[in-house]
Amino acid sequence: MNDFERILTSLRSADVAFVIVGGVAATVHGSARLTSDVDVVYERSRPNIERLVTALKPLNPYLRGAPPGLPFKFDIETVRRGLNFTLTTDAGPMDVLGEITGVGDYRAVLAVSEQLTLYGAPYQCINLDALIVSKRAAGRPKDLEAVAELELIRDEKLGKM
Amino acid sequence: MAAKEPMSGTPDPVVDAYKPGIDRTLIRENLKRSPEERLRALEQLQAFAEELRRAGKALDRPNNR
Repeated sequence: MNDFERILTSLRSADVAFVIVGGVAATVHGSARLTSDVDVVYERSRPNIERLVTALKPLNPYLRGAPPGLPFKFDIETVRRGLNFTLTTDAGPMDVLGEITGVGDYRAVLAVSEQLTLYGAPYQCINLDALIVSKRAAGRPKDLEAVAELELIRDEKLGKM
Repeated sequence: MAAKEPMSGTPDPVVDAYKPGIDRTLIRENLKRSPEERLRALEQLQAFAEELRRAGKALDRPNNR
């Protein structure tokens, strides 16, 4: 079972610079769709990558869908050499992203994020308009269906429905 | 240089085609909740979906036919 609180608290406790994006961000904005993983965009400086790796180590991150036994280690060099990682962890699936389609890297996502309180602490979450842009840019049928709901949520918040 | 806010308002016929099938009452109910309550509800829904998958697999086992 997914434990969103454990994942987010782990990152926050280690002072990782990140923004919540993807399906969990959609849920935060009011989506009723089922999503299974936590997606975050992280800042790619070496100190932040060190904090990210330290924060996730107790959750035993491993490449999602990969056969067991691969020589994969979620360590600083792995993250520096890569960008986006789809992981399974002891607290549920998680996507750790250096950038997202349609918006960009951490700095760009942070600029279109808003602060909200979850589990008693502040977190940055991509705003509704930028989430719509990223889902549109991803362009898969499931993303476009998600965009339809997000646009209705935006209309509802603006009192258009 | 400051990041530029992306645009999200251009109509898309594919997106618009999905809209009639969306239950707006669920959206309104969700918007009455706090963001944390929405995440808790998602966790409960995931647990329910997992239980349904487990039950479905059990149905597929030969000794259940």
